[in-house]
Amino acid sequence: MSSQIPDTLKYAKTHEWVKVDGDTATVGITDHAQAELTELVFVELPAVGRALQAGEACAVVESVKTASDIYSPVSGEVIEVNESLADEPGAVNNDPYNEGWFFKVRMSDSSTPDGLLCAEDYKALIGE
Amino acid sequence: MPKNVVEMEIDEVTMELPDTKTLRLKWPEGYETDFKTGQFITVYWPDTPKYKRAYSLSSCALDTGFFEVTIKRDGKMGTRIVDWAEKGNKLFVIPPVGRFLPVLEPEKHLVCIAGGSGVTPFRGFAREATLRKLETKITILYSVRTTEDIIFNDEFRELEQKNPHFKFNVTCTRLSDSDPWPGRRGRIGADWVKEQISNINDTIFYACGPNALVDNAERLVLEELQCPKEQLKLEKWG
Repeated sequence: MSSQIPDTLKYAKTHEWVKVDGDTATVGITDHAQAELTELVFVELPAVGRALQAGEACAVVESVKTASDIYSPVSGEVIEVNESLADEPGAVNNDPYNEGWFFKVRMSDSSTPDGLLCAEDYKALIGE
Repeated sequence: MPKNVVEMEIDEVTMELPDTKTLRLKWPEGYETDFKTGQFITVYWPDTPKYKRAYSLSSCALDTGFFEVTIKRDGKMGTRIVDWAEKGNKLFVIPPVGRFLPVLEPEKHLVCIAGGSGVTPFRGFAREATLRKLETKITILYSVRTTEDIIFNDEFRELEQKNPHFKFNVTCTRLSDSDPWPGRRGRIGADWVKEQISNINDTIFYACGPNALVDNAERLVLEELQCPKEQLKLEKWG
């Protein structure tokens, strides 16, 4: 079954999605990533206020099968995290692009970050 | 708590490597279960019932009275188990399920491609075939970073001595040039896999380990070896 890849988002090769709104980027993991990980049982998010560099490991997800780092696709300061994932990590499986968002970053450069993929290129990356 | 969940005591712990531990979980008195070699159990601690992890059995179906799982320090569960679990602790266990099962027929050759802790179910395969003195050929092709990362090395070498139909072959992907390791280096590729095969129609391929290794094995078997998918069984995240 092919995964959902919304056209409105940008994607990192490490399977995070980014939604840019002004200077704020909302970050989560893709439908493909959650399916590969299988049922999530734990999500550890970065602290609000933490300064991130693009490509930096800043969160951890753990599924019934494995644990994996999550990388920030953008540089900037963490301004909000999805605290509900502490109690409901399964929201990432059920709704990865909405309820399952991870954190928001105020980007240090508000232009769309370089090196991110459009939906079509991400689709090609994962072989769909 | 679902009815089929059982509390089991850790009866024995064995450090296989500095970051990898085998737990022997003792069945409670009167416990009986119908399970097969190659299946996995799901475990959780009594104080964190929502936080579960699944692990392949490293013991086999002839090992009754206990389950063994071999766990790498990975994530919160792996860290807690490797660093803190000890004899006498109790875990809740959801009984074995899964379809990653060895076809232990005499004419078959099981080529088992493993990466990292993905080798653990193949210990069960080799144990069962050896204990039953079967003629099924089993060849493990095991990819590790360095010689320090080989899980069950001594045990697999012993099984090779006991079972003429079992082979344990290791390749190291990140050894320095100066390392004296005389064995194979580099990733598992089609040429190495082809060397193991005498009759591809009787060969069944298994792959267990990180997603990238399993995806590569799938491509190798289906595309490069042109083998039908019925002869391939995959288990991601060992």
